[in-house]
Amino acid sequence: MADTADGPDQTLLRPIAETGRGFYWAVALLSIPILWGALAYSVQFYEGLGVTGLHQPVSWGFYVTNFVFFIGISHAGTLISAILRLSKAEWRRPITRMAEVITCMVLFIGASQILVDLGRPDRLLNVILHGRYQSPLLWDATSISAYMMASLTYLYLPMIPDIAILRDRLGKRKLFYSVLALGWTGTERQQRILNRAIAIMAVLVIPIAVSVHSVVSFVFSMTLQPMWHSTIFGPYFVVGAIFSGIAALIVAMIIFRKAYGLQHYLKPIHFRYLGQLLLVMALLWFYFTFAEYLTGYYGAEPEELKVFWAKFTGPFWPFFWGMVLCNFVVPLACLVSLKHHTVGKVLTASLFVIVGMWLERFIIVVPTLSFPRLPFPEGIYWPTWVEWGETAGSFGLFALFYLLFTKFFPIISIWEIREGREGLKEVEERLITYLPDEAEERT
Amino acid sequence: MALWGMVIDLDRCTGCQACVMACKAENNIPAVGEKEAKRERIISWMQVLTETDEEHHGEKMRFIPRPCLQCDDPPCTKVCPVYATYRNPEGIVAQIYARCIGCRFCMAACPYNAKYFNWHTYQKEGPGQNPDVSVRPKGVVEKCTFCHHRLQKARARALAEKRDFDPREYVPACAEACLAQAIVFGDLSDPVSEVAKLARSPRAFKLQEELGTKPKVIYLTEGEGGG
Amino acid sequence: MDRSDSDFNRLVRTLQWVWLAVAILLVGGIIAWIIHLIRAAWTLGDVPSASVGISIVAIPVFIVLVSVVLYVFLGLRADARER
Repeated sequence: MADTADGPDQTLLRPIAETGRGFYWAVALLSIPILWGALAYSVQFYEGLGVTGLHQPVSWGFYVTNFVFFIGISHAGTLISAILRLSKAEWRRPITRMAEVITCMVLFIGASQILVDLGRPDRLLNVILHGRYQSPLLWDATSISAYMMASLTYLYLPMIPDIAILRDRLGKRKLFYSVLALGWTGTERQQRILNRAIAIMAVLVIPIAVSVHSVVSFVFSMTLQPMWHSTIFGPYFVVGAIFSGIAALIVAMIIFRKAYGLQHYLKPIHFRYLGQLLLVMALLWFYFTFAEYLTGYYGAEPEELKVFWAKFTGPFWPFFWGMVLCNFVVPLACLVSLKHHTVGKVLTASLFVIVGMWLERFIIVVPTLSFPRLPFPEGIYWPTWVEWGETAGSFGLFALFYLLFTKFFPIISIWEIREGREGLKEVEERLITYLPDEAEERT
Repeated sequence: MALWGMVIDLDRCTGCQACVMACKAENNIPAVGEKEAKRERIISWMQVLTETDEEHHGEKMRFIPRPCLQCDDPPCTKVCPVYATYRNPEGIVAQIYARCIGCRFCMAACPYNAKYFNWHTYQKEGPGQNPDVSVRPKGVVEKCTFCHHRLQKARARALAEKRDFDPREYVPACAEACLAQAIVFGDLSDPVSEVAKLARSPRAFKLQEELGTKPKVIYLTEGEGGG
Repeated sequence: MDRSDSDFNRLVRTLQWVWLAVAILLVGGIIAWIIHLIRAAWTLGDVPSASVGISIVAIPVFIVLVSVVLYVFLGLRADARER
């Protein structure tokens, strides 16, 4: 039944069956930033956080920015795939797996940023032994661990039929695939169980995902600091997270489309739909940013204004206006019309959004700390090679994890594609039920 | 239970920094060196801030000595994930160096920037240090403790001499060192103590009072000549 | 089915159970940890309401998670055995 993947979907198995020279080149290339990051972290581990550019009063910098950024990227996946699955969007089929993998990989990278940021990583166990729920950091720990487990489950369950295909057809790693396939043979009862479980997970994962980035924002908004202490930070962060997540998803899709020759699966129409989604999120993000800054400006509390002007015209202006350019101007220009050069335009917009959302996180974390309430001299923050290395290493590690995943599992869900092909009739029937007149005739 | 507090008379403060130096000597505060100082990593539990007077711009400077304000509702203790900083029953906000994981959340949350971080191993135990105060390792946050060790010492002495402990025996190093006698220390819960009387003065104000942190370091504005 | 194949199947089954046990232990560990945090908050008088509030939400989420995994695991295996 489910164990014949002949003909068309052979392309999806090829990256797992064969390893070309491109893979080794990619690994070699990625190992450069990873080694740089490893060196940076080992120096920091022995010398202390003093090797970074952090100081009094800017006690949080790149690491916390990266933490917020990577956890934000993780909303790509699970959330988008869950929403598309629940809304039965048929075009989701080649996309969901890629999105879910981003979530799982980037969550580990994001959570480990906190470990990198600790002055005493050797005392991490204290969080488990002596943690207290009064601190938003513990909310993070709970919420992120729930999200990790949920998104791993949500990645794994829809992969079971594909693992069974690999078990039956691939010939190598038989034990590994046999264990993970859980005896899947594709009977009707098994399909019913799996579909029900996937549906439950899709529903469960959405509130968890929303909670994660709300709680990340609470790390800032629960303090009394100017331009952090804001009630809209929760939704603002969630919107930004989905925004950057879609951008990361598009970039990953385009890279693997090129590398594994998936042009037949990821067509311009997919990028057009995702591009439109990105455009909607860009507008939503702009709306939140506007609301957030206008209230700060109009209220004109002196401490708030100090930080506000530092971002607009002060020392942080390149970052702030760079953020506006990357997150709003460029995506708007690229995405308004997607009739021609769809893939190129969507890719440009996505790359800009990724940079812009990183700047957004930076512009939230640092200026508030640079301009304290009391009359201290202002503190400008310049990262050292350690922070750059750690950041580069994190991106490299993420890419490497993703690449390794594609060598073990199909990056596009084979059975879901097949289900889509076989279910055309069902979809047609469903579409007919949407129409008022015909539906009445039938019932 | 005593509630330790401090009143700082800005009219008397000359900005001489004697309190800063006394604090550094008393609490084994490391000299971070020129390179680290240039990178803005000086540790100074007591810090004298300067502010130009808004009414007489450019003519008059105002000195604000700022220890940890020992808030009664401290924003820093709320956010600590591991109970490394907490408000003890006598109102002193304590820091447990052996517990701290160095996440620096409390530094980000303190509206007065009273918390300092050990970016490197700045010093090891050695001669010339105050044996009553532990030397902080790298990677932990530290801050003013109202010279809590002096309280413990005064209590122990009273116990050894089999008499009641008198709150006047406990004075932090900064208050002791202030030549202008601008810093008054004592028990705020005792209405007849000098510090409680001064705290009720019409000149009394608190830093960022509107934040609701309820600091127990109270300032007296300058101007009305000794009030 | 020759002998080596059934050996292989037994190994697969064992590893599947190990895999499930790890998942359950992980979730059980997290739940035990949350309960430990409530107890710590209680003894320290350290805003137990926050801990209780969070755990009321968090513990059921983890339980649902592990029960979905259990449901799939047992369901798929039961079907495979019947055949």
